[in-house]
Amino acid sequence: MRDCESIRESIGRWLDGELDTAESESIRAHLASCEECRKAQQQLESIDQILKTTLLAEAQQIEFLPFWRGVQVRIAQKTPWHEQALEGLRATFTLSRAAWLVPAGIAVVLAILSLDSYIPGLREGRNSFASVESIDAYGRNVALLRENESKTTVIWLYEDQEEENATADEPAKSAPAF
Amino acid sequence: MELSDWDLVQKCQSGDMASFQELVSRYHQKVYMVVLGLLHNRDDALEVAQETFFRAYRKIRSFEGGSSFYTWIYRIAVNLAIDQQRRQKRNPLEFRETMDGVLEAQEETARDPFADVHDRELRENLARAINELTPEHKAVIMLRTIEGLSYKEIGEILGCSEGTVMSRLHYARKKLQDKLSAFL
Repeated sequence: MRDCESIRESIGRWLDGELDTAESESIRAHLASCEECRKAQQQLESIDQILKTTLLAEAQQIEFLPFWRGVQVRIAQKTPWHEQALEGLRATFTLSRAAWLVPAGIAVVLAILSLDSYIPGLREGRNSFASVESIDAYGRNVALLRENESKTTVIWLYEDQEEENATADEPAKSAPAF
Repeated sequence: MELSDWDLVQKCQSGDMASFQELVSRYHQKVYMVVLGLLHNRDDALEVAQETFFRAYRKIRSFEGGSSFYTWIYRIAVNLAIDQQRRQKRNPLEFRETMDGVLEAQEETARDPFADVHDRELRENLARAINELTPEHKAVIMLRTIEGLSYKEIGEILGCSEGTVMSRLHYARKKLQDKLSAFL
């Protein structure tokens, strides 16, 4: 059997539900038979109760909207301008709100890629990575394709179709008329 | 379906102010109660409670959910209140004025005038006895009595062990009991 002093040491923890089952049972059994300890228990419960009801009555007078406005004022006044700006950007570009960026990004990329279809000649002069040089050597048409980056040279022999056509036409013109 | 605190915190971390407002509406009275219990002054308590939510708003992105939101918010509130209390040694009579205000509101519904006088004395003495406790002892009493938090949660808030919470609570209750035994 525990003595009263030891029980009173534990009454608070018992009321708080911080004792295990065996200890709780021991306290309960003692309180049932000891008026002095029961009085100590009631005193502790009264103190808790008065404190709680007093502060609860105070807190219930605090209305939400004025309280919230006070918090908002603090947020507006005490947050440095750069943090506010960052906050605004974050709010705008959150994952859910920035969903429009994906199709917009795709549209921009497609527009850039198809710019030369709308503006003819846009890319002319940009192919500096390779050059074509035409040489008329020994009566043959030769073209040199030089690619600068890989230092590759392609020699391209070709026939001038116009000249050929012109040559082909000439006999017809000079043919004797029968 | 009501969102959990953690859901609201996550939405808030994505910049949703309405979620933060909902968190404030859930906890503003509880935070105010704890802070008022520590500071014993309505104006100071209101200031500190609002400052608590402002600080929470500033730090909400760093809150990772390791503890519950209310443990976190109480930690901010208690730290601010203890700092405030140490900075400004206020007139202890202010708390009695606060308590009187509550009593006046309660007198309207009180039926037995003798019981009312007894209650008034009891409350005044309780206020005085609490005011004589250290901030740490007041904090454990408030968190346990008002919120019914476990010793583990109180330890998390105050940054101390469960054993320390237990001994502080026992000491604080013993003090209050000794001062108020004549009225209880």
